[in-house]
Amino acid sequence: MASLDRTARTFLLSEVVSGFLLTLKYMFKPKVTVNYPYEKGPLSPRFRGEHALRRYPNGEERCIACKLCEAVCPAQAITIEAEPRDDGSRRTTRYDIDMTKCIYCGLCQEACPVDAIVEGPNFEFASETREELMYNKEKLLANGDRWESEIAANLQADAAYR
Amino acid sequence: MYADLAHFFTVNWLGQAIVILAECLLVTVPLLLAVAYMTYADRKIWASIQLRRGPNVVGPFGLLQPMADGLKLLLKETIIPSSANTVLFLIAPMITFMTALIAWAVVPFNDGWVIANINVGILYLFAISSLGVYGIIIAGWASNSKYAFLGALRSAAQMVSYEVSIGFVLVTVLLCVGSLNLTKVVLAQSGWFWNWFWLPLLPMFVIFFVSALAETNRTPFDLPMSEAELVQGFQTEYSSMPFALFFLGEYANMILLSAMGAVLFLGGWMSPIPYAPFTWIPGLIWFALKIALLLFVFSWSKGTLPRYRYDQLMRLGWKVFLPVSLGWLVLTAAVLQFGGWVPGK
Amino acid sequence: MPKLKIDGVEIEVPAGITVLQACEMAGVEIPRFCYHERLSIAGNCRMCLVEQEKAPKPIASCAMPAAEGMVIKTDTPMVKKARNGVMEFLLINHPLDCPICDQGGECDLQDQAMAFGFDRSRYHENKRAVPDKELGPLVKTSMNRCIHCTRCIRFATEVAGVEELGATGRGESMEVTTYVEHALSSELSGNLVDLCPVGALTSKPYAFEARSWELSKTESVDVLDALGANIRVDTRGATVMRVLPRLNDDINEEWIGDKTRHAVDGLRYQRLDRPYVRKAGKLAPATWAEAFTAIASKLEGVDGKKIAAIVGDQCDAEAMVALKDLMAALGSPNVDCRQDGARLEAGVRAGYIFNPGIQGIDQADAILLIGTNPRLESPVLNARIRKRYLTGRCAIASIGSVADLTYPTERLGAGPATLRELADGKLGFSEKLKAAKNPLIIVGMGALSRDDGTAVLALARELAEKANAVREDWNGFAVLHTAAARVGGLDLGLVPGEGGRDVAGILEGAQAKEIEVVYLLAADEIDTQKLGKAFVVYQGHHGDAGAHRADVILPGAAYTEKPGTYVNTEGRVQLGRRANFPPGEAREDWAILRALSERLGKTLPYDTLDQVRSRLVAVSRSFAALDQQVAGNWGTFGKAGPTSDAAFASPITNYYMTCPISRASRTMAECMASRQQLLAAE
Repeated sequence: MASLDRTARTFLLSEVVSGFLLTLKYMFKPKVTVNYPYEKGPLSPRFRGEHALRRYPNGEERCIACKLCEAVCPAQAITIEAEPRDDGSRRTTRYDIDMTKCIYCGLCQEACPVDAIVEGPNFEFASETREELMYNKEKLLANGDRWESEIAANLQADAAYR
Repeated sequence: MYADLAHFFTVNWLGQAIVILAECLLVTVPLLLAVAYMTYADRKIWASIQLRRGPNVVGPFGLLQPMADGLKLLLKETIIPSSANTVLFLIAPMITFMTALIAWAVVPFNDGWVIANINVGILYLFAISSLGVYGIIIAGWASNSKYAFLGALRSAAQMVSYEVSIGFVLVTVLLCVGSLNLTKVVLAQSGWFWNWFWLPLLPMFVIFFVSALAETNRTPFDLPMSEAELVQGFQTEYSSMPFALFFLGEYANMILLSAMGAVLFLGGWMSPIPYAPFTWIPGLIWFALKIALLLFVFSWSKGTLPRYRYDQLMRLGWKVFLPVSLGWLVLTAAVLQFGGWVPGK
Repeated sequence: MPKLKIDGVEIEVPAGITVLQACEMAGVEIPRFCYHERLSIAGNCRMCLVEQEKAPKPIASCAMPAAEGMVIKTDTPMVKKARNGVMEFLLINHPLDCPICDQGGECDLQDQAMAFGFDRSRYHENKRAVPDKELGPLVKTSMNRCIHCTRCIRFATEVAGVEELGATGRGESMEVTTYVEHALSSELSGNLVDLCPVGALTSKPYAFEARSWELSKTESVDVLDALGANIRVDTRGATVMRVLPRLNDDINEEWIGDKTRHAVDGLRYQRLDRPYVRKAGKLAPATWAEAFTAIASKLEGVDGKKIAAIVGDQCDAEAMVALKDLMAALGSPNVDCRQDGARLEAGVRAGYIFNPGIQGIDQADAILLIGTNPRLESPVLNARIRKRYLTGRCAIASIGSVADLTYPTERLGAGPATLRELADGKLGFSEKLKAAKNPLIIVGMGALSRDDGTAVLALARELAEKANAVREDWNGFAVLHTAAARVGGLDLGLVPGEGGRDVAGILEGAQAKEIEVVYLLAADEIDTQKLGKAFVVYQGHHGDAGAHRADVILPGAAYTEKPGTYVNTEGRVQLGRRANFPPGEAREDWAILRALSERLGKTLPYDTLDQVRSRLVAVSRSFAALDQQVAGNWGTFGKAGPTSDAAFASPITNYYMTCPISRASRTMAECMASRQQLLAAE
């Protein structure tokens, strides 16, 4: 009897038909996706997006060229060169991140002793050329200036868990 | 004056050529437009099945998306692999595209609305759809790439297998009609929609539709271009316009097979209810609606069914469809013979 | 030979060593900051505390002599607690600015804090602040980081022999300082940076440039003086970032001179990175093929006797042997490796090497310096003599003008006449020499690179023989070279052949148009004005004097950029290794000569470095033994003759600029300015 039942099911395509009905039902359910460019989902304070180099409130750049981020970077995306600045402080002369190599693991911001390099909340930095993804110090500092309020708020929000 | 014009367009060779050209344009332009929006419809249907939105940014409701895609393909660089056979590599997509178009010559859009009302319409369709596989095989071979080659091999095997079943389905239908002329096939199904062949020949209709999926390399039979294992099958090395031609050809083929399905099983241009006000609606609209219904099922199955494994595909073709269609053919012939319903007698 | 028990293992150690050394011998590492094997014991960091059975409290192992029957424990909770406590105290005033400290990554305090540190501080008071000191252009100070181990003070006082560093105050007020702020006047000041266990003293030219973990380390040999100090070349990418000493007790112990360490920035400036050919009086960039063609067309039909070659002071033996073979193939006897005109002869090896070896200085009990200023010619060797002086019972005398050598010397006289008197036994010191068990006679280039050099050499030999300095078990005749390539060149016989001209002869010939083509293999120390109208080919790495005069320039590799064999003043053959690649189109020197020989139709019979090295051994057996001194055969060298009355003067008056590399170095220029300022202040 069972085999007859199974044969009947097979020949009447009942499984296929039930599958089709299921997908048909789903077709009329409400959409679950957000309408991305016009609405966006929530971001965690720990979100690891585009990098930025921060400054102190007095405008002094935070980075002290300790090169820990360069050392810890698993993708070897960071290149730093340093020398004493005119006032004798240790500063970078070059701080490059190859965003095409970066894997957004966040180890650089974990390693940074002065919270200089951070991964901000911005993830919309697609570019038309590869060259634009080779970030230099200027670009990173500009990012820092642009996103400072958000970054500071995120760090504040996450500080309790560190 | 009118007589002159009539004479020019019916007798003069130049006039006839203009008429034929006009007819061709009248068929191909809407067809290509349909292809474009078929891609849009496809994406929208899959999106809703997956609770997504689908294209909705370019134009209102994303309606200009096919135009944007076409423009993109047109403007992209045509890359010809250095180890490819250039001539065959470029001819292949043209073959696919053209065979998909010339088949439309015998399709009746309405009573008498057919470019070539030949008596062997079904045979012609069958022959043309068999030729389509050459485009794919040539593409796979000329690409000189393992993925493309494997894709072409699969495609060839698959088409050969399922064409046999389609052949028997066609024979069954023509047994019931008694003619190979497609207009006559439609006319033979006049009456209420249950008079159409889909109901008396239901298993054949199912076999036809499944085989049509296989013929057009659509899910669940998209093994020749399965992106997960063969990258993109025979299309791997194609870009830009040659790729667009393949794409157009494929969708045109889909529409063609839907049209065949509509003609053979769904009564062509006929209204489902043979009374006013349904008969006021032009036959062309009914025909288009029937094609659209079949195309929706094409998309729907892609959204529903997973891909067949290759051996399952072959088993289904040779061990299920072939015996079943053969059996049904014999059964139909017997019923016609012994029931005294042989047409034309 | 006391026997003691360390962590339950019985061990017998030599008498007189400390518990710390005994522990090392037993394979137990004791953490330490102030203790250093080559410095006196201070015992002030307390990091080396260990537990001794029956002692009431932990003992400082570095200062405790190992005695019979001691039972030492190094891994008990008590030791651990004691060290943790010491570490916490050390970190009280340490600023913990590791991220901006150049010592970060190679810091003893950092490493040991990993083992004995606590992950937070219990100290909430203010840390002390100490003003930084100015110690000259090489040593950067950050005195907040100082942990008062006094290694720097002990090094300056004991090894460098300049008593310029000291400590003022005590406890928290202690500061290491120069009292009146001034640059260190030592040629060994760079070693302070290595010695400092924390980041209080760091290298100024290297400040903030790189991290230790970014560098590729290549073990090589120094060529900036003739000592052949063992060095480690640290590179990042194509740039040499710094040079550090490598431990070799036979040569440099663990010190190197400031020039060796800091002249490497000269490798970045004034480099020849492509061939040049002089066209219409101006040097124009050319390809290798064009340069070779220019040489070939000039050499065509020129008699071998009209071709000459001069070898520079920093050439590797591979390039020299290739040049020698090429000149032989061209039929030229005019080859000389003695740029400064030193009257040394190639035949008798004992006549031109530092026979007792550097280590022999430790055994010498009477030292005579003839026409040499070792402090400028080889500061590390000078420190070795000072080390000998500090051990006591060693008479040191000098002939020739010698300034402060960091140890007292008896000044016997000025020139050859004094040497004559000494050889005749007319001076008091000759008795001391004769009485000495191991007399050491160091002859410098100041005595030999003069017109009467041959006679001086003969005199020195006579003195050595008379003083019984040349025996079966001891050869106290020592030539102190100033050029790293010199011994190698003499070993390979790069001296004029039969009827050949030496350097002076070549220059004369060039002026008299008897020499038409001169090949300078990185030779810059000659008077290029005297090359007359000769066609000059210069193969070298820096745009120095030779390149300015050249008609064709072939860019070669500097010593960090090629695998090369060098023979130091002792006659010890050592391998230099490639740390980075030469800039632009520059190539290894022997390969350039090999390629040129092919263009000239006189292809040299070697294609690989190994083949060149076999050729080296074929030319001189002394190249067969690496890293060991091959004793030279004693014989007759020099020729008695008339001597002049001129005083011996060291050829080096400016330690910081002696070669194209150091002349191109900005750090060396700063050092020179600083030294001049210092001298002017005195």
